[in-house]
Amino acid sequence: MRTSFVFSEVVTGLRRNVTMTIAMILTTAISLGLLGGGLLVVRMVDKMQANYAGKLEVSVLLTNDVSANDKDCTQQPCAGLRSQLEQTSGVETVVFQNRDEGFERFKRIFEAQPELLKLARPEAIPATFRVKLEDPDRTDVIKQAFEGKPGVKGVDDQGKFLERFFEGLNGLRDVALILALIQAFAALLLISNTIQVSAFTRRVEVGIMRLVGATRWYTQLPFLIEAVVAGIIGAVSAVAGLVLFKAFFLDRITRNLTESGIIPPIGYLDILIVSPWLFLVAIVISATTGYVTLRLYVRL
Amino acid sequence: MIRLEHVSKVYKTSTRPALDDVSVEVDKGEFVFLIGPSGSGKSTFLRLLLREEVPTRGRVYVSNFDVAKMSRRRVPRLRQSIGCVFQDFRLLPTKTVAENVAFALEVIGKPRNTIVKVVPEVLQLVGLDGKEDRFPTELSGGEQQRVAIARAFVNRPLVLIADEPTGNLDPDTSQDIMLLLERINRTGTTVIMATHDHGIVDSMRRRVVELAYGKVVRDDARGVYGVGR
Repeated sequence: MRTSFVFSEVVTGLRRNVTMTIAMILTTAISLGLLGGGLLVVRMVDKMQANYAGKLEVSVLLTNDVSANDKDCTQQPCAGLRSQLEQTSGVETVVFQNRDEGFERFKRIFEAQPELLKLARPEAIPATFRVKLEDPDRTDVIKQAFEGKPGVKGVDDQGKFLERFFEGLNGLRDVALILALIQAFAALLLISNTIQVSAFTRRVEVGIMRLVGATRWYTQLPFLIEAVVAGIIGAVSAVAGLVLFKAFFLDRITRNLTESGIIPPIGYLDILIVSPWLFLVAIVISATTGYVTLRLYVRL
Repeated sequence: MIRLEHVSKVYKTSTRPALDDVSVEVDKGEFVFLIGPSGSGKSTFLRLLLREEVPTRGRVYVSNFDVAKMSRRRVPRLRQSIGCVFQDFRLLPTKTVAENVAFALEVIGKPRNTIVKVVPEVLQLVGLDGKEDRFPTELSGGEQQRVAIARAFVNRPLVLIADEPTGNLDPDTSQDIMLLLERINRTGTTVIMATHDHGIVDSMRRRVVELAYGKVVRDDARGVYGVGR
């Protein structure tokens, strides 16, 4: 097989219907970009789950009265609550954090938002027992046992908050993947159409090729490679798009959250890890569509 | 070289068979005119040899190929041993004369050094040396047909099929093309030519197979076009 010949046929083919080629590349790129975005969200959720696993705590918030008057948790009801918590089965550690310590922690978390700090006063922060469980899924036990007890203002389950957050992220992922799927379908039709147009504009060549005894591969390969090349260019554009999206958009809007460690940052490494999948999907889809189109619609 | 045994071809869209129990045998190196009015089955005859069509009944043999029975995978091998020339030349307008001829070899995977050697040879054979770099639109009809013949012959086929090769040419130019086909025939290549051109058939005095309504109505070893009418 003469590669130079096939290659020159491919270039001619792509140049000949350049508008179709551009449409094909753009649709593929958007589809793959959305797919890449979805995959990045998946990675982010995985990272967050790994980050928080073992760190999740239940916070038992104490009433204003206790918070203001019992800084070291030596009096009742604070001391009693502590010993009850420590004796509850499944509890690993109990740490008391008074109002001042709580405020310091608050300041640390939100140091990136000075406006918010200006508004905050220590009186708004309750003294808290930070309870770590052996099994983070069993937070309900603490909630049921301590909610409503004297001196307890409420029981705050970080896990529940995180669950809602993950739900939000997973929703985002699903939307991205569904849009990617719809775009992929459009890309598929465009690839198929482009190949048909391409085969039609080259029908004289193809006719001669068949007549002089070119093998099926020789006649079809230029069309297939054409589709795959467009797919690969689409994948390259998609990866470039993701990098630009991260650099100019995502980094800006999530800076506060990532700097305070609430959500893990998406790095260029993540994009690098996701991109081979985009290339693989691009190649598989364009080659399959091309092959099926040639088989079904184009008599070569 | 070529043998049709009781070949019939019925197209789905037609009730009348395009070919009806046709048996013809052509030896290696023969020159055969295939004549008959439009719709008599000449084109179907030629398409069967190329396996563009499969007969409804009967067997078709070209060289060692059992054309009707062979697998699709082997069809390119068959076509590589048959050269084809048409009334409308079918040249690629974006390629030069030399590139048009080279194309036929490139697409069957011939190595470059073979191509650069045989293309000038065949262009000289058809009398186009010096015009290698012209584009088809810069050539006369006769010259374009020479390019087409060069392309059909460059791979040294066993059989050359010509479907009204002079249909678009004036009588003098047609005569030149016939001389060229004769030369090719003298190299041992079997030539089968479908035509309507009385003058050519009458002057060449070669074998004539006449078709009418899909049947062979005449097969003269040294025939003329209009005999018996």
